[in-house]
Amino acid sequence: MAEYYLNVPVKDKDVEELQLGDLVYLSGQVFTCRSRLQKYIFDQKNKLPFQTDDRNVLIHVGPVVIKENDEWRLVSFMPTSSIRFEKWGAKSVSEWGLKMIVGKTTMGEETMKAMKDNKCVHVSPQCVSPNLWLDSITIQNVYLFDELGTIEAAWHLNLNKLGPFIVDIDTEGNNYFDKLDKEISANLEKVYKNLGISKDFEYTKLY
Amino acid sequence: MITKKQISEVVYNTIKSSSCNISEDITEAFYSAIEKETKENAKEGLKKTLRSIELSKEKGNLLCSDTGWPLFYFKVGNEANIEGGIMALEELCREMVAKATKNGYLRSTMKHPITGDDPGNNVGENIPDFTYKFVDGKDLQITYVAKGGGSECFGGTRSRVIAFADGIEGIKKFVTDCFVASVRAGAVCPPSVLGVGIGGTANVAAALAKEAACLRTVMSCHPEPVFAELEKSLYESLNMLGAGIMGAGGDTSVFGVNIEYAYTHIAGIAVATSTNCMIARRATFKIYDDGTVKQKDTPNWFNGR
Repeated sequence: MAEYYLNVPVKDKDVEELQLGDLVYLSGQVFTCRSRLQKYIFDQKNKLPFQTDDRNVLIHVGPVVIKENDEWRLVSFMPTSSIRFEKWGAKSVSEWGLKMIVGKTTMGEETMKAMKDNKCVHVSPQCVSPNLWLDSITIQNVYLFDELGTIEAAWHLNLNKLGPFIVDIDTEGNNYFDKLDKEISANLEKVYKNLGISKDFEYTKLY
Repeated sequence: MITKKQISEVVYNTIKSSSCNISEDITEAFYSAIEKETKENAKEGLKKTLRSIELSKEKGNLLCSDTGWPLFYFKVGNEANIEGGIMALEELCREMVAKATKNGYLRSTMKHPITGDDPGNNVGENIPDFTYKFVDGKDLQITYVAKGGGSECFGGTRSRVIAFADGIEGIKKFVTDCFVASVRAGAVCPPSVLGVGIGGTANVAAALAKEAACLRTVMSCHPEPVFAELEKSLYESLNMLGAGIMGAGGDTSVFGVNIEYAYTHIAGIAVATSTNCMIARRATFKIYDDGTVKQKDTPNWFNGR
């Protein structure tokens, strides 16, 4: 397990050397995204109002922000579950040229394929520690605020060594949680046994 | 009389406290998990989360950016004299949810399920939600629970009706399978408290599961031995999974298992589960008839637990 301090825009060579379980700290300019933004762009055929060439890291997050003296203040930030955005995952990766997705949980097969084709990784925090991260994040700007609302707008953030995030999908299509699932499934047999649930248990079919 | 002015202040403080302060039982659960943890990454994750929890208290800042579904649980004295009655109480709660959202103590999370309309204040049709228990006396106890999106969405909160023939084995199987699905890849932000509701109609079982997860203290035992034993065996067994903090591997996958039950129809047994977030948000204040107000660490929702 290695630690990496990466700058955005992230390069192919940066992500190609990342292995499952490595820890990443991020610096540079990124943007936030939730489903309403993806629906607005990909389903409703609107144009993303900014370039992603130099901003090729997307964070799945609904930040808490309030306006104080005409300036936005970030109150809280915790990456959210990526799997719920699977519907638009592959398009986001390929059309926006993403090299890294910061989120929680994982992505599905279609997105993982697009990630492999586009050299993109997924990373997630191994704790729920928003208060440890606030000093590493500055709000730069916000796009589509009126159209999408506070938490689903595209926030442009400037990061200063934000992390650590664990690499859970690498550029080769390997998934950290798939590997762990095998261990959990093996342990599940022990759990059933401990609870006295027989191997051939089946529910009575009521419907 | 318990006045509207007092209710507004106390409701606002309850919401704020829920967003920024973790109860003692959850804090203890973190300490215990850190002490037991043998995997270095998991230990570090638990420590960082606990440090962030401490900073929330110090700075009066949010514990987590997902401030969840807004849920109120009241214990209302049967002879409580509430200015404007229960309808005024609910209206003041809606106003305070909107105020807490404006001031950054709640995220504007509630939206129309079909149109996606975001009112920007977490107030809409049937939201916030209100649950009541009526008790002896003249006091009013207010509990606010923020039920996080991850903990509710990812398979940890489910129900089904099983046949009597499937009995305790069927209950254990359903609870285990729901839980395993919910902790994979850290979906519900484990470890946390798992609530289980058994019996009643499906909605009764689901409500009991949610209350068991969100209102009971960690490691409080059910007074009936059959349920206390079931709680213990599920707790010990589910912690053999190795899912750990955020599902990334570790010794503690669940902080506690709390079971509540209702008598059921001979036709079948409703079983429901509700996982809470690791960052379990709840706060309780009590307004006494003489006007004094006290914060309580536990709502004592189920007598003694």
